[in-house]
Amino acid sequence: MARLVENRIQFPYKRSLGPIFGAFMTGLVQRKILGIRCDGKVLAPPLEWNPATGDELAPDLVEVGPAGTVVNWTWVPQPTEQHPLDHPFAFAMIRLDGADTPFVHAVDAGNIDAMAEGMRVAPRWKRERLGTIRDIECFVPGEDAEIPEGDTNEAPEEPVTMMEYDASITYRNPVSENAERANAASREKRLLGQQCPVCGRMYAGGRGYCPIDAVELTEEHDVDLPQRGVVSNYTIVTPVQYPGQTETEPFARVFVRLDGVDVVLGFQNLIDVPVDDIHPGIRVAAMWASEAEREETIGGIRNAIGGLVGWIPTGEPDDTSPDLLDKVL
Amino acid sequence: MRNDTDIAIVASATTPVVRHTGDTETTLLLHAITSALEPVGLTRADVDFTCAGSCDYISGATFSFVSNLDAIGAWPPKRDSHVEMDGAWALYEAWLRLHHGDIEIAVVTGSGRSSTADPSLIYPMEMDPYYLAPLGVDPVSFAALQARALIEAGKVTERQMAEVAARSRKDAVGNPSAQVTGDFDVDELLEEDYVRAPLRRHDLPPISDGACAVVLATAQRAEQLVERPAWITGLEHRSECHNPALRDLTDSPSTRLAAEAAGLRDGPVEVAELQAAFTHEEPLLREVLGLDDSVAVNPSGGALAANPIMATGLVRIAEAARQVAAGRQRTLAHATSGPCLQQNLVCILEGDS
Repeated sequence: MARLVENRIQFPYKRSLGPIFGAFMTGLVQRKILGIRCDGKVLAPPLEWNPATGDELAPDLVEVGPAGTVVNWTWVPQPTEQHPLDHPFAFAMIRLDGADTPFVHAVDAGNIDAMAEGMRVAPRWKRERLGTIRDIECFVPGEDAEIPEGDTNEAPEEPVTMMEYDASITYRNPVSENAERANAASREKRLLGQQCPVCGRMYAGGRGYCPIDAVELTEEHDVDLPQRGVVSNYTIVTPVQYPGQTETEPFARVFVRLDGVDVVLGFQNLIDVPVDDIHPGIRVAAMWASEAEREETIGGIRNAIGGLVGWIPTGEPDDTSPDLLDKVL
Repeated sequence: MRNDTDIAIVASATTPVVRHTGDTETTLLLHAITSALEPVGLTRADVDFTCAGSCDYISGATFSFVSNLDAIGAWPPKRDSHVEMDGAWALYEAWLRLHHGDIEIAVVTGSGRSSTADPSLIYPMEMDPYYLAPLGVDPVSFAALQARALIEAGKVTERQMAEVAARSRKDAVGNPSAQVTGDFDVDELLEEDYVRAPLRRHDLPPISDGACAVVLATAQRAEQLVERPAWITGLEHRSECHNPALRDLTDSPSTRLAAEAAGLRDGPVEVAELQAAFTHEEPLLREVLGLDDSVAVNPSGGALAANPIMATGLVRIAEAARQVAAGRQRTLAHATSGPCLQQNLVCILEGDS
């Protein structure tokens, strides 16, 4: 079994709600559940379009519930981190009083034996309501909504027009045998590559296949690559402060063309050169982490090679070849 | 001899399907494509068009399909496309592309490594972002709601569902790409706890890693390459509204419409490979497609035996084509996408008589 590298990806979405979803979410802040009239029926929660025909619906909203009848349900014995409750509960389709279509939400019924088609349920409202479907914590058995003590149902100062949704997933990716060997070689300050037996092209790191010939590369194709080269291209990244961004100052990523072989390493770190001084032609050498500072894990970025910290100028005169920029990868 | 404009499946290959693979998705595809091309004497240089089905959410990398292209052979440059859907829909696009008439060979792939993350946390994010995703309603919960609707309507029982699981696992015994196989006692299966009532573990598909590649060819090339091409005589898909709460879960009108449009009624089928990832979906699909007991359903073991998401539907088409190559006259493949059979594809395959 391959070693796994864990990484967590987060997507902080902000969604505009539009007139129908916005009115529904604004209603929730006031402990009101709205439906919309559609072909003589009431859809709750409301949609912008007739689900049968795709025709746009007029904003003819009508209050429904808050109590309703369970028409279908399932039991969740082990909730996930995304679920509304942290103890066993039901997901149910609830037809709210006055509505014709069911509403999917959680029911906090205590145990599975309490659940039945036809049971009556009402919402448990959260105290702090932001205008999301989770303003209803869940539904509970009975006719009466659960309302936090002292709760007011005042309208928000401004109608709700946006919704935030922070999606987050944790991934565990296997580290291939090729990447493990490249990583191990980097601890010995060796830059490992692989050579395609068909076309002879070389690739840095543990790529594992030649993309030109679509053949698999294994240990028998390993080669040691030179550790000197030339900056063949570069970009200066001015960081935008999106969530999770840790860089604050402009930084460079350079392409390094290795001496004597047909290999270009992309998006490398260039050390000890101010961003304004970076230009194609700078002669560089690989710089390796000391044992103390060595990165023990490799990330998901292709060509990230364990102990390779970056590239440092050698002080040699610039390479002035006119074709430096021609080879990209 | 068929018409020059006809298109056939001439080869396919599926990797071993397992709970965890140490291989990257690219390596899985590298093996699947090579294994599909080699037996019919083709190389990547012969391929005019490729279309891949995969999902960034599953692999956890944006534009993950770009690195998957390394498995296809990037040189000389070729026409390529990708769908963020099961490979069955990639096959639909390749079939359309071959109908243009200017190229002859297409390779279609489907690939997924579900072991990379927890499917119950990934798939809620594909749901309606306003009303469903924030509740984390997972696919198994939605499947359970459909199962209960079918049970309440008298269309299936929990025992029949367990029988589907036992039959599928038994049929899968000879399938080298199956993951869950063996002899299981229905009474013992029914004693297990519910995962999501009324669904037990055996009513759910396994979590799988795997990839599939299928080779399509236009009529003349197909007849040169293999003795018995599987001709695609009908290929259609239809979709329904997204939110399962707004649908009649005891029916699948999109499957019915796709089957009618694909010409299912033009003759009998001997084998049907249905993408029924949950046991209760099989009797519903059988009913909607009008398949009686004379039709062998999922002789491969189906999605209950191996479920490499994004390839599972394409594997159904590959299996139905394999049945034609082995001598069957007319077979059906079905693929699905979205919660509770939201979108459905039907493919009819025929052999020369």
